[in-house]
This record gives sequence, structure tokens and C-alpha cells, in this order.
Amino acid sequence: MKRRTFLSGAAGLAVGLALPYLARAQGGPLKLGVLTPLTGAGAQDGPRMLKAMQAVVDEVNKAGGVLGRQIALIVEDDQTNPEAAVRAAQKLVGVDGVPVIMGTWASAVTSAVAPVCWDSKTCLMTVSGADSITQLPHQGYIFRTQPTTTLQATKHAEYIVSTGAKKVAYLAVQTPFAVTMKDIMTAVLEKNGSSIVRGVVYEPAKASYRSEIDSVLAAKPDMIYLNSYSPDLTVLLKDLFRAGYTGGRFTQSYAYNAKTAESLPAEVTDGLVAVQPSSDVDSNAYALLQKRLGVASPDSYEAQATDWVSLTLLAIEKSKKTSGADIRDAVRSISQGSGARVASAVEGLKLLREGKDVNYDGASGNCDFNEKGDIIDCRFRYSLAKGAKFELIKIV
Amino acid sequence: MDVLQLIANGMMAGGVLAVPAIGLAAMYSVLRFPNFAIASHATAGAFAGWIANASLGLPVLPSLIVALLAGGAIGLLTDEFVLRPFRRAGFITTAIGSLALTIGLENVVRLVFGNEMRGYDLPLARDVVLAGIHIGPQQLQNVMVSVVVMALVFGFLSFTRMGKAMRAVADNPPLADIKGIDARMVARIVSFMGMGLAGLGGMLIGLDSSIDPLTGFRVMLPIFAAAVVGGLGSIPGAVAGALVVGVAEELSLLALPPSYKSTVAFLAIILILAVRPRGIFGREAY
Amino acid sequence: MVIYLLSISVVATIYAVMALGLNVMWGTAGLVNLGLVGSAAVGAYTSALVTTRMGLPIPVGLLAGVLAAVLIGALLSLVTTRLKDNYLAIVTLGFAETIRIVASNEIWLTNGTDGISGIPGPLRAVLTPLQFNALYLAIVVCLLGLVYVVCQRILYSPFGRVLHAIRDDDVVVGVAGKNGRVFKVQAFAIGSGIVGLAGGLYAHYTSFIAPDLFVPLITLYVKLSLLLGGVGNNRGAVVGAAIVIVVLESTRFLVPLIPYISPTQGAAMREIILSAGLLIVLRFRLKGLVPEAHDHLTVRPQQNTAGLRPATT
Repeated sequence: MKRRTFLSGAAGLAVGLALPYLARAQGGPLKLGVLTPLTGAGAQDGPRMLKAMQAVVDEVNKAGGVLGRQIALIVEDDQTNPEAAVRAAQKLVGVDGVPVIMGTWASAVTSAVAPVCWDSKTCLMTVSGADSITQLPHQGYIFRTQPTTTLQATKHAEYIVSTGAKKVAYLAVQTPFAVTMKDIMTAVLEKNGSSIVRGVVYEPAKASYRSEIDSVLAAKPDMIYLNSYSPDLTVLLKDLFRAGYTGGRFTQSYAYNAKTAESLPAEVTDGLVAVQPSSDVDSNAYALLQKRLGVASPDSYEAQATDWVSLTLLAIEKSKKTSGADIRDAVRSISQGSGARVASAVEGLKLLREGKDVNYDGASGNCDFNEKGDIIDCRFRYSLAKGAKFELIKIV
Repeated sequence: MDVLQLIANGMMAGGVLAVPAIGLAAMYSVLRFPNFAIASHATAGAFAGWIANASLGLPVLPSLIVALLAGGAIGLLTDEFVLRPFRRAGFITTAIGSLALTIGLENVVRLVFGNEMRGYDLPLARDVVLAGIHIGPQQLQNVMVSVVVMALVFGFLSFTRMGKAMRAVADNPPLADIKGIDARMVARIVSFMGMGLAGLGGMLIGLDSSIDPLTGFRVMLPIFAAAVVGGLGSIPGAVAGALVVGVAEELSLLALPPSYKSTVAFLAIILILAVRPRGIFGREAY
Repeated sequence: MVIYLLSISVVATIYAVMALGLNVMWGTAGLVNLGLVGSAAVGAYTSALVTTRMGLPIPVGLLAGVLAAVLIGALLSLVTTRLKDNYLAIVTLGFAETIRIVASNEIWLTNGTDGISGIPGPLRAVLTPLQFNALYLAIVVCLLGLVYVVCQRILYSPFGRVLHAIRDDDVVVGVAGKNGRVFKVQAFAIGSGIVGLAGGLYAHYTSFIAPDLFVPLITLYVKLSLLLGGVGNNRGAVVGAAIVIVVLESTRFLVPLIPYISPTQGAAMREIILSAGLLIVLRFRLKGLVPEAHDHLTVRPQQNTAGLRPATT
């Protein structure tokens, strides 16, 4: 094959592939963007979030869609890499013209695609934890359902105090919020006569954390806060068991999710406390999520993914328009205020069509946003690992 | 922090790296290119072992053999059909080809098994305390497995006909050719052996942690660091290098925060190579 | 659609600049460098810090980034100059990872894993996103042209001929009275500087950089660009980068057409297609799509019956 033939062939192939795609882009269902890690370090979590989003979309489509249109999720893989994510985001906004991008996980990916989003007036909904994200000049386009570091650290520390733990060790995978989290927890714990006896920030993706564990155990803690993701959490839990540690262990539900639980023996995990943001005790949003996914204990990310789609669809129905700016402006009119409390998109869409006001309370909390796009307050759900199952301790 | 405990921890971490590092060294000694596909083959072996252990209910030891055979078989096939043609284009093209191969295979695993983490069906043992140092019985086993593997590979290369043929090819391919040694057969055997050890190593790593499509990729750099520190292509060097890298990473905790751990492997390479440009045992071709 | 094509073109152009930088080291002087992203990171971070913290204009930042990358390249080369190719490949890979880890840890300087956002882009505030992308494409294409001319000059200068001689046989170079080591360090430093320029250009384009950006995968894309286009050939480097981006992007549209697979499997398929496609192209176009132009600059392929020893080591 001659070089020119090859080159023109490659270009022709690219255009040929794009043409039917563009033709389909006209009319048809309402397209929403999903940009989430399906490969790379975040790939454990992306597919679960995607499934949760798709489940809501299916439910709403079955109930007649939004503004009389069916909804389709356009999914791109962010590869847990900011460079690939930016290209994918450019495709979602430039080719598909989606009004919202949901599902970014790594903070670096969210920060990288954020400018693409606000430049193109596209909403961005994320679980990323870095405090800096909502500080960006995003003109209101970023909505973060993950509670801020301050909110999490404060509430989690208060819970740890309530268990009677006095000497807390803090083990965190290297993230933008690892150190801030520790500082805030230290302040809350010390006010309550407890303290952080050792804080260690470790590297991700190691096959063993024995020495890190040794250094933590040398301080004789009665509670260890594991601010981890699932691959490193698995290793840490095993190494803690091997070292004979029997005190309390506390971690995020997204790290200790149902899949992590399945991959570990019960003797290693029993007694671990997993936490996730939650709506009020009397809300049935979480129960609906359990039913929709057919999962006994959906984790924090599945809950947040559910809420992104629900908020987006309600905002579209409310504003009767489908642009990113309209969604941005309408979110707070359906997520907070004096409207009727609803726990699912289908329920809310029905009321909105009847001309009523709604206040969406989601599976990951009340979803009331401040002007920066952070959630104002939420409750937390604490569960106890028992076998591969979870027992609800309390929601406070 | 207790220095002896850190050294013990480093030996246990290094012991797991040693097995795939031996595989890498064996392949390098004959094929003369850094085979980055070791990452995906380690993952593939780990998943094969997982099928044997968690799905078919085999005990761990036979499952390890399944991991070895699967890694070896895939290694043989991919070398024969994918990498071999690249070798005449130079080692760097082959190395890049092996990087592309590793990404492809990682995603074949992802396509079939998904991204979820999986754990082996293996009850965990608590550490035992010996002279004030706590050691994991399973980790001790891993170290012993790598010593046995090293002895076997070493014995195979030193005393068997095929092993000698391999060393001949490694030393001087044209001469080996004249002597009637079938270089292609040697390449096949070393690919099977090297990637088999990668698969075995992948499962050993998985026994300590858990497995997912990135299992092999996560340990790729330390494995390469081990092989380089020991001297590329040297079997005892691979074991020594793995232990040096493992221990150096742990000892670094005395001076550096844990989030700097991985840089230590790189510093170890630079330091060792500054003193001995061919690594600890780099002179030997086997 | 237009803005998408523009942005992809900007990225492809920046990859092409990196491929040219690699070509100076690898194609011309035969120096293996699997740590390109390390140089890119140094260039990007320097330019980002100079423009955001010190408030200096973008060209100053880019220039500082190039100089920093030249320095780090020279330093790395000095440390590794005695090493054989195989060792060099792995040491450079480790070098890039070290740069990434340092950037993750030294929060006072680099803002850690949070990354640096708000990096200025030329006229970004006054232009629409479409205009900005068009302008930036124009800028990077001009710079690519400039780098291309510089690389061509290097290739055909006496300096370039010495580098070629080093690639082919550095003993001969020593016999001819040239200090091969100095030439190697220079080639490495120049190449690293060009890659650093690419890093800086990327930083000012997307306005955000973080350690996670500089992973070995990017190096692999650039290596593949050069292998596809033809090692040692500047035009090939540019063409190869374009092909890599076209392949990367076109699979995005291709894979959703495959029925009965989940999006995760689709993502896996994309990477399988990519790696298989590139392996096939590499396999059957081993010399690259654009062959080296002049006979006296080409390496003679050495045949050997075992097919085991590489032709160039």
C-alpha cells in the first residue's frame, strides 16, 4: 500500500465513520453525556456509576421520558487520564452537543475538563473530592454531589468520637484532599478529647503496605481511618489482619463497596465501618435505589450517579428547555426550596408535569447546592461489614 | 522505625517481584529486548489461576500451576505471532511492540472479566513473630517459591541440553546457528518459561492483594527496576535485584514520606548503574 | 463539530512537536528515551509557574519551560551517558515516573495532585471558545513549522551527521576524533527542550496541568507516532502523530456500532483495536510510512538468520 493511499484511506475512513454518526445526531432522543473512567485507575468505579445512571434513564424512558422525548446516554471513557478526558469531553460537547457531562471521578480529570464545560456552557456533575474544583471560575456549571472535605471530615470525626475511640490513626492514599481531611479531623477530634496519633499518606497501587501499617500500629491506635480507594483498601485490610490488629476500622463506602466485600474473606472485613453520604432517615430514595439496581447496599458513587441524572432530568422538565445554561439555572429550583419532596426522577417529573414544585431529595443526600455548586449539608449513613453483607448502624 | 522489620518487609515485598523478574531476565538473556508484555501476561496468569481457584475450586498450589501454564501458553503464542516478526527491526521497536501488546491484552482481560476486583479463595494467615519481627507465613512461602524457581531455572540453564543451547544462543546467535541449535525453538521455550513465570508471579501478587485488569501493570516498573539493578539477563541478578528494590523501598521510609516510595526503585537503578554499569550480576548472560 | 476538529488538531500538532523532539534523540542520534513525559512535565510546569505565579507573559513562560527541559535532559543524559540502550530505556522510564511523583509530592511548588489550574492562554478572555481554538491551532502549527525547520537543519548539519554516525557506530565517531559523549548530551538536551515546548503548549491550551497527565501512555503514543511515520524522518514524525490521533479518535465513533457490548467492553474494544491496529501497521511497515530520504543517512538493515539479535543496538 502506497503511503498516500494509506493516508487518504485513513482520512476517508474517519469521515465515513463520522457521517452516519452525524446524521443520527439530528432529532431523536435527548442526549446526555457521561464521561467516566472505564479503563485506568478509576475503572473499578466508573462502570458502577454508569449502571446507576442507565438504570434511572431506563426507568424514566419507560415512564414517558422528559418533555415527551426519550433519553439516551452518550458514554465516553475518560481513561482516568486528563489528556484523554479532554479529548473525550471535546467530542461530547462538540459533536454530540450534550448539555451535561456526568461521572468524572479523578480530581485531575474533573479539573481538566471543567474549562471545556464552562466554555461550552455544559454542566459538569462529579464525585471528585478536591476542594479546588468548586473554587474554579466555573460560572455555576459544576455540581458536586460528593460532600466537601470539611463536611466529611467534621461529620466522620464526630462519629468516631461517638464510638469512644481516643487514639485515631489516619491512613490516606495520595489525593488532593488527603492532608486537608486529616487537618480538619484533628481539630474536631482534639476538641472532643480524642486525637490523631499517626497520619500517613501512602502511594497508590502498591502490592503491600506492611511498613506503613507497622508505623501506624506502633502508635497503638484504637481506630484507623482508611481514606482509600478499593485496590489499596483491599491490601490494607489484609495487611491489618495479618498484623493482628483488632481495633476499629473506618472507611468510605465507595472503597468498601459490594464488589470489594465479595473479594475479601469475612474474617478480614468483619467489624469495618463504611460511611456514605445519605438523605434523611425517612426518605425512601435509598430504598428505591436498592430496588432499581437490585443491590442490597449501593455505595456512595452509585447513589451520587443516580442523583446526577435525576437532577438533570428534573431541571430540564422544570425549565422546559434542554441547554446546559437552562439546566444550570433550573437545578436549584428543583433540588431545594419549598416544593413537594420527591425521592426519584419519575416521581418528580410527574409532579412537575402537573405544574407543582418539587424538592428532590436523593439517594446521596438532600442535594441542596450552595452558590459554588457544593452540597450544603447532608447526613451520613454508617454501615457495619458482616460477612459480605452490610448492617445499617445509623444515619446521622 | 525498626530497621530489621523494614528489611523483613522489604524481603517479603521483593520476594513476590522476584518471580516475574526471573522470567523477564530469562527472556532478555535470549531475546535481547525488554519485554513490557510481562505486565499483561502476569495479569492473564493471575486470572487463569483465579478461574482454577475461585471458579473451579482447586486449591492454591494447583491453581498456581494453572497460572504458570496459562501465562506460558499465552506468552508462547504472542511471541510467535506478534513479537517475533518485530525482532529484526531492532530491540526498541520490539519493546514498543510489546508495550502495545500489553495494552491490548490488558483490555482483552477487561473485555472478558470486567473491571471488578476479584479475590482468591484462600484463608489468610496471621503473621508469626520471630525474634521480635513479624512475618507473614504466606509471604515467607512466596520468598521460598522464588528461591525454588530461581534454582530450577538456574539448574535448567546449567545442566540440561536445552538449557545449554539457550545459553549458547544468548551468547552468540550466529555461532549457535552454525552448531545446529534451533534458535526458533529456543525462543519458543524461553518465551513459555519467561511468561509462565510472569503468570505465576501475577497470581502470587494477587494472593497478597486482589486482582483486576491492572494487576500486572501496577508492578511492571518495580519488576523492571529489579531486573536492571540485578543486571539485565541475569537470573540470580533478578532475585538479588528484586530483594534490593524491595528492601530499599521499605528502608526509604526512614528518610522519606511513603508517598515517595516508587522513586526509590529509580534511585536504586541510578546508584547501582553508576557503580556497575551492567548491574549487580550483569556480566553473565544467563 | 468544528470546535471538536480544531481541538483534536491542536492536540495532534502538540503530539507532532513531541515526536519531532523524540526524533532528535532517537531518530537522529539513536538515543532511546522512554521518559518523554518527564521532559514534557518539566516544560509544562515551568511555563505554568512562570506565567501564573510570576505573572510573566506566555512566550517567556514557554521559553523558560524549554530551557528547564533542556537542562533536565542534559542532566539525565550526563547521568546515563555510559549506559547501553536497553538500560537507558528503563532508566528513562523511571525518570519520568520520578518527575511525576515529585510533582505529586512537592505541594509548595507544584500544588501536588491538585494540579495547577487557570494557566493563561493567548487572548482566551476576549475570544469565543471557537476563535480561541482556531487561534491556538494557528499558533501551534506555526511553532510546529519552526521546530520542523530547526530539526531539518539539525538533520543535515555537520552536527546531525555526527549524530547519525553515533547512531550507526559510536566507536567510529570516537576514532574520528569527535567526543561522542558531548554530542549525545547535546542531542538529548535539544530533544528534551522540544518535548518541553510541547508540554508548555499543552498547558497553555487546556489551562490545567496535574501530575496524572504525565503518564507513560503519552510517551507510548509519541513513540508509536515516530515508528509509524518512520524513525529518523521529521516529515514522518508529523504524519505519524496525525495518524495516532486519527486512530485514537475514530475508534470513538467506530466502537459504539458494535452490538451487544457494554460501554466498559466498548472502552476495552477501543484499546484493543488501537493496539492491534498499531501492531499490524508496525508489523507490515517496519520502516514507517515515510522512509528516510537520503541513502547516506539510512541504516543498513543487518540480516541475521536467527532473527534474534536486533539490527541496531
